Amino acid sequence: MKFLETLQNSIEVHSDRNAFFINGNHYTYRELGTAITAIRVAIQKEIPLSEKYVGLITNDDLETYAAIIALWFEGKAYVAINPIYPKSRNEEILAQTNSMFVMDSSPSPYFEKGFKVITTHTLDMVDNNDLSAPKKVEPNDIAYVIFTSGSTGIPKGAPVSFKNLNGFANAIDNNLSFSLSETDRCLQMFELTFDMSVVSYLAPLLKGACVYTVPKDSIKYFQIIKLLSEHQLTLLIMVPSIIHFLRPYFKEIRSESVRYSCFAGGKLYSDIGKEWNACIPNAQIINYYGPTETTIYCGGYLFDKEGNNKEENGVVSIGKPFDNTTYLVIDENNNEVEDGQTGELCIAGEQLFPGYIQNEERNKLVFFEKQHNGKSLRFYKSGDMCYRDQDGDYMYVGRADFQVKIRGFRVELGEIEYHVKKKLPGLDITVIDLDDGNGNTELGLAVCSKEIDLKPTLSYLKENLPPYMIPTRFLFVDKLPHSVNDKIDMKKLRTLF
Amino acid sequence: MTNDEKILTELKEIFIETLGHDNFELDGNTTANDVDGWDSVTHMMLINEVEKKYDMKFSLMDLMSLERVADLVKAIENRQA
Repeated sequence: MKFLETLQNSIEVHSDRNAFFINGNHYTYRELGTAITAIRVAIQKEIPLSEKYVGLITNDDLETYAAIIALWFEGKAYVAINPIYPKSRNEEILAQTNSMFVMDSSPSPYFEKGFKVITTHTLDMVDNNDLSAPKKVEPNDIAYVIFTSGSTGIPKGAPVSFKNLNGFANAIDNNLSFSLSETDRCLQMFELTFDMSVVSYLAPLLKGACVYTVPKDSIKYFQIIKLLSEHQLTLLIMVPSIIHFLRPYFKEIRSESVRYSCFAGGKLYSDIGKEWNACIPNAQIINYYGPTETTIYCGGYLFDKEGNNKEENGVVSIGKPFDNTTYLVIDENNNEVEDGQTGELCIAGEQLFPGYIQNEERNKLVFFEKQHNGKSLRFYKSGDMCYRDQDGDYMYVGRADFQVKIRGFRVELGEIEYHVKKKLPGLDITVIDLDDGNGNTELGLAVCSKEIDLKPTLSYLKENLPPYMIPTRFLFVDKLPHSVNDKIDMKKLRTLF
Repeated sequence: MTNDEKILTELKEIFIETLGHDNFELDGNTTANDVDGWDSVTHMMLINEVEKKYDMKFSLMDLMSLERVADLVKAIENRQA
């Protein structure tokens, strides 16, 4: 697999350069390589070949990143497990992937029972610059699994194959004039449970550049600015919500070092994009687009800093698909619509994931085969409503369902409702996305009842859902507003909060 | 009561009001990790409330180096001076 070989070569060639900056410490590629080798030895000794999915506790340290690469070099997938999320949800995730083994660098293991834990920070490290070659992997073997919110109350596992990731690694180099070198200093602000983390560490490591991670227990947007100003970062990959938080302080930010400012995972508005570009005057902003199911991102748009950008309702265009990807905009009957007509965006190509784990029902809904330019392609229905303009650029219009983005995280409102209903049986409830006034999304919970104490409900939610899925605004009403066709009138309901 | 203690008491009131609960201890060593609901969103709200209460405006430089509550107390005192 080409990207694994490139990665091995990069680690060996750049041995004296810094690979990571984590919690105030630099780590060289040599140190990274040494850790990878030690972890590989442990994997070979402890984990049978048949075990393909291995849990990974996502700490912010060298061992955790080394474990990812060690698993890849051994032909295995990592299933990211964030220790700050509820244990019940994490166990549910590892049950879906049938994982028995967990890599963990925590001082005391996160899972006390139920799993075989490989402790990665106490292994014997033998300083050695020669990595043994990655094992041969099959293109359809899985590299990682990302779990996203599922409207049935159970998270959905989206596996991404080595072929998918290899396609992605090629595509970022071949599209949108994006090019890193060993002198770049790159931000990694994402939890490893979120797939934008993958590009944030993988793209730099393939080129011998340095990855700067944002400390976990911190207010991210200020830590980003701190890293930016103290280390003159050159690449920023972020979700747009970060610049919404920073907007009041834009006039105090001036960073000449940034070469690329990449956005994905949310709507980038052109006005704030332009203001942000003034803070980083030498940077090319790129608005990338793509669901987790088509490997991190699969297309994008080069932002014009003068502000001459294509937009729809103020949202910057998502541009064109990568050269390995095909887009199709369809109506309800899976027929392609004309340019300018809004429909659901469907995606085919090298980066298309093989299908959700243990979820045939869902897979039947999201995939379809269609002839396109004389070839039969397998398309994924993204749930994103878009149209294509006469130049072939795509515009993002909105969602086709009840999925919302909270600080970049995909949230199915139905999953939260499922858990609320368990605690408030018999009450009519709705969870809704609200604008917090700063351009970010927060969650509201509307309950059809007189005012009741929601504390027990909220603590129940906190035991079962990650923090970003907990509603922060509350409303008690006699009746939920309904539209003529008997659906809950979300627009009206929003005005009541 | 020292000035530090006075500010801490006032901060605790702001935190209770903003976060909607008083289920936490607030001392110099407290970080966002120790307080339920103190996250990236509420942090902005807390900062706004602190600025209102003390009639001051923090710079980005002040806010970048806030890690523990003691840093916030110090930032307030620096602005008051």
